[in-house]
Amino acid sequence: MDGKTKRTVKTGILLAFFIIVISLLVYSRVTARPTKETFRNKLDELGLWGTPLVYIAIPVLYIADYFSHAWICLLFAFSVAGLIYEFVPKEAITKYMGRGKAVGYFLALGMAPFLTVCSCTMVPLFGGVLYAGAGIGPAVAFLLMAPAANILTILMTGEMISWEIAGVRILTSAAVALIAGFIVSITPWGKAIEKEFQVANSAAPSAKVEIVKPPLDERLWAALKFAGYLAKQILPFFIVGLIVVGYLSAFIPEEIVEAYLTGVTGVLVASVLGGPLYTPTLVEIALGQELWSKGMSKGALLSWLMGQPYDFANAMAVSRIAKWKVVAIYVVIAWAGSVASGLLYGFLSGSL
Amino acid sequence: MKEVKVEVIGPEPPCMRCQAAKKAVEKAAEKLRQAGFMVNVEKANIMSKEIVQKYGVLVSPAIAINNTVKIMGRVPSPEEVEKMIMEAAK
Repeated sequence: MDGKTKRTVKTGILLAFFIIVISLLVYSRVTARPTKETFRNKLDELGLWGTPLVYIAIPVLYIADYFSHAWICLLFAFSVAGLIYEFVPKEAITKYMGRGKAVGYFLALGMAPFLTVCSCTMVPLFGGVLYAGAGIGPAVAFLLMAPAANILTILMTGEMISWEIAGVRILTSAAVALIAGFIVSITPWGKAIEKEFQVANSAAPSAKVEIVKPPLDERLWAALKFAGYLAKQILPFFIVGLIVVGYLSAFIPEEIVEAYLTGVTGVLVASVLGGPLYTPTLVEIALGQELWSKGMSKGALLSWLMGQPYDFANAMAVSRIAKWKVVAIYVVIAWAGSVASGLLYGFLSGSL
Repeated sequence: MKEVKVEVIGPEPPCMRCQAAKKAVEKAAEKLRQAGFMVNVEKANIMSKEIVQKYGVLVSPAIAINNTVKIMGRVPSPEEVEKMIMEAAK
């Protein structure tokens, strides 16, 4: 009885925490948000321009300013990512992964955002999808979709930049992932890998999977712990990234952004910079937001954000399983896809 | 008393969460061994043909007890693993 009450209290506290975080975000959306200019105003106010102190003041003020209006959003994004990752029925999804190509593509695109907030699950799942008999196509689609549209980046894109961009990002990433998966699956190199990974009777695993579900309070606690783990993994890189973004924000003149990051050139430049240049998760969003406010076109912004799946670190991890030729094919398709989507979106939204 | 086989299934090289899962399992196993249980902890590669053939697609970290996957995609507490192993030893 005593243990039961303790459980109920713990569940109550944890639920209250998640509800508070979510309502905080809703509240901050309903009430007006502070303008983006406080960081520059403060620099002007302090009169530090021209003194060496400005080099210290820029990152400090920028980060303080960023977190002062992004903290709710970050807290929300991490908490929700933790919750979703904990409560999404992983065994139900993985069970259907091996059920043929159409289902494979569908699951790869629909489920990738929820399964992989952490890159360490991505490569094993890529291998798993391959082994399970869904083939190289869905595996590649999954691989491209996961980093492009995971729940954390989508929430942050929507909150910090705009929900329109976030929506377009999901759609274009899905389209590009589908096309890349399909093209890789009909090349001889893709087929060779498929053959290599074929297992005899993959449809019916011989051993059982019987997932034990812990009580609600433990699951909520695990969700919170996973949110903390994600934050610990991502925030250090994010803060280093913000230091760089702070300097760029202070020193890049708007004329340069307007000259190089608009029009067709803008899309091309953004797509190239967004890829091989390894930007840790979330930093691309902060930098994109900054460049956008300095005059980058929406089309270029989309290309910039879509650069994630073909960055260097991801390609390296995958080349351990797939042949480099396959990696090269999907990198080229992903790049072309990001350029095409950037141009199309820029054209349609009137901001090229 | 039956011997219990615990497999910690993760990618190779191990990711941080799989290492955390392995630690929890080892802690539980150590405690149970002192209490006289026979617990055998093994590490399995999630990317190997044998494991996929046996269990299908898994989300790492996964923990299988006596050839049944009990935990997938999360890090359990040592106490939870302990309970599962005791259940299997019965």
